[in-house]
Amino acid sequence: MIAPAVKDATALDKGRTEMLTFVTMHLGLSADETAFAEEVRAFLRRHPPDTFPPDGMDAGYGSGAVSRAFLRALGAEGYLRMAWPRRFGGEERPMVLKLILLEELALAGAPFGPLSGADQTAEVIIRDGTPYLQSEVLPRIGRGEVTFWQGFSEPGAGSDLLSLTTEARRDGDEYVIRGHKIWSSHAGVADYGLVLARTSREARRSRGLTMLVVANDTPGMDIRPIRSLTGEVYHYEVFLDDVRVPADRMLGREGEGFQALLAGLDTDRFWGRFYKAPALTRLLRQLVEYANATTRGGALLARDAAVRRGLAALAAEIEALRLLFYRVGAMIETGEPVRHESALAKVMADELGQKLTAFAMDLLGPFAPLTEASRWAPLRGIVQHAYLTSLGHTIAGGTSEILRTTVATRGLGLPSER
Amino acid sequence: MDFRPTDGQRLLQTAARDFLARHCPLEAPPGGEPLHQDRGALWSKLGELGWTGLLVPGDLGGSDGTILDVVLLAEEMGRAGLVSPYVASAVVATSLLLGSGTTARKRAVADMALGRRICALAVLEDSGELEPGAMALRGEIGGALDGKKLLVADADLADDLIVAARGSAGVTLFHVERTRPGIALLPMPSMAGERLFEVTFDNVSLSGRDVLGKEGAGWDALDPALRLGALAKSAEMVGAAQRILDLAVEYAKTRVQSGRPIGAFQAIQHACADLARGVESARPLVLHAAWKAQEGLPCETDVALAKSYAGDACLAVARKAHQVFGAIGYCDEHPLHRLHKQIIAARLAYGDTRHHAETIARAIGLA
Repeated sequence: MIAPAVKDATALDKGRTEMLTFVTMHLGLSADETAFAEEVRAFLRRHPPDTFPPDGMDAGYGSGAVSRAFLRALGAEGYLRMAWPRRFGGEERPMVLKLILLEELALAGAPFGPLSGADQTAEVIIRDGTPYLQSEVLPRIGRGEVTFWQGFSEPGAGSDLLSLTTEARRDGDEYVIRGHKIWSSHAGVADYGLVLARTSREARRSRGLTMLVVANDTPGMDIRPIRSLTGEVYHYEVFLDDVRVPADRMLGREGEGFQALLAGLDTDRFWGRFYKAPALTRLLRQLVEYANATTRGGALLARDAAVRRGLAALAAEIEALRLLFYRVGAMIETGEPVRHESALAKVMADELGQKLTAFAMDLLGPFAPLTEASRWAPLRGIVQHAYLTSLGHTIAGGTSEILRTTVATRGLGLPSER
Repeated sequence: MDFRPTDGQRLLQTAARDFLARHCPLEAPPGGEPLHQDRGALWSKLGELGWTGLLVPGDLGGSDGTILDVVLLAEEMGRAGLVSPYVASAVVATSLLLGSGTTARKRAVADMALGRRICALAVLEDSGELEPGAMALRGEIGGALDGKKLLVADADLADDLIVAARGSAGVTLFHVERTRPGIALLPMPSMAGERLFEVTFDNVSLSGRDVLGKEGAGWDALDPALRLGALAKSAEMVGAAQRILDLAVEYAKTRVQSGRPIGAFQAIQHACADLARGVESARPLVLHAAWKAQEGLPCETDVALAKSYAGDACLAVARKAHQVFGAIGYCDEHPLHRLHKQIIAARLAYGDTRHHAETIARAIGLA
């Protein structure tokens, strides 16, 4: 390499919009990493996803359906705690193995459900949990015995989360929660809710919120299903009527629940969508098989120029998405601050999912809307299901509009609208 | 593997950005590109910096770099809006000449590395297809080149041409000086940044010395070299798109309408976020493919994915940016259209989107 005369090697870091002069990312897998991927594939051969009936529906993110039995199998294998510190029963294995695990599970369409939600909760418990959460709840996460739902949104608090009104009043050693949460995924088939509630009135709306871990069977909880546009139940609304929880079920610090939520948001978005690219890869492969086996107008669909061109362009977008997530993953792993990158990646993941499923609906033609209940449904009805669920993805976990604003203001330094 | 730039790569980028900002300002002087006004001066400076010899071994006067270095430099060239024969001459032609290994070729490469010679590529014909079957221009050793090549970039600047010709043995590459009797240039005026030519070959005599590589094995040599060109052009597009993003954000912060910077309006904020998405999602794909090429791993599909995606994403960046800039972006003196046209040209060079899409279609298993 040449080393020409140079004035200032750090000049590259100056521009505010220059978000990515250099990419830090995994450009290839090491021998250890390749061996781990093979190990996960062997696990999947021993535990074929098809043999695990779902306990909760597949939301289409790539995390598959919820199967409690499959989650326990993952726990028994040690996969759920492999990255944890040793003193919490972990093996301190590198983060990239978690990425490989999620990638393999998504490629196989495994019913691992909200695994990353449990994983994120475990991280917070390890970092900031009370003795109760660390000794009683954490080991059960590691064994795949418990899952969580998020009690953030309320009927009057969607994108404007800070307008939430659920309250948790301190009464001795307990909190008494009163309020109404909604759009909580899998709440009815999970064990604990992470309920964000106001614990004090502060001048700033962002202060005085606390996160509490609430067991589903606590008296006063009323968890009601919301039927979604697929006809199945994915979301629930939860009424909390003087629900009493011991104070040591607090996750993080009192009054700083929103700050903790914000701090974790960037990595949450990453973990919540990392498996989207492999999931879309799986769908793309199924579409290729379909196009190779389906004749229309006297010719194979696979030989149709528009089909070839369309699927090729989508394949390129999926690969770009995969590498974008690996880049954000590398940022998280090396401790580089994530400013807007995971927001950008989520927008891309969810819009690409919509694009691919819309293309797939066209590809399947008149049979596209048939559900798995029909023997005529192509690809067992997965396309219509993915098409419908994809509509929710650009809304859940931060709408694409909120996220684009985040990219513009935090990432590009544009002035705030207010 | 964990990729981070080496110190040398960081220096290369910094030096490139600094040099190009000084010598190739985005605001073009009237009368054309700086390179075309004074070819000798700028090109030999590129040679002094070691850039034209980036892929050339040290013993031939080069700087022993890799395709990943080229990609980093090409991105800077894109960012600077530099239209030049760099990719054709210093990347594709250079790798072809290095591959042939003869003394005469090595001498040519050494001169090219120093910025003293430029080589253009004469490949495409009437169909515009980058396929061996599309090579119809006749050429036999001991015979002559007869026919024409189209869309030959920077033929007027070139000292030599590499010509893909069809003979009895199949496709053979010939390396001939551009001034050889019988070769004539006709400009093909284009809206995109490049200077394109129709090059006609009228009974241009050929000897055994003119053959590049093995007779009849021309496409086997050309294919991987074109892949390097596709990679460099992908990076050039990412650089141009990054510059568009930078300019658009700068403009959105300073242009005031209705009492506030237009960047405070969500419509503009979201447009800028989309520009960022295009740039940030294209770059890792290009670097990944370049890394594979550098490591000697199979990368045909990766290059196709990178070129195809970068082409679409960067073009979308250019098009959306016009809406951010409003009327000023429609002006000749504003740099936006030059970066836009550079992306249009790069997107078509070394395989258009259709070409690369077909490679991908086969790779994902479509029958």
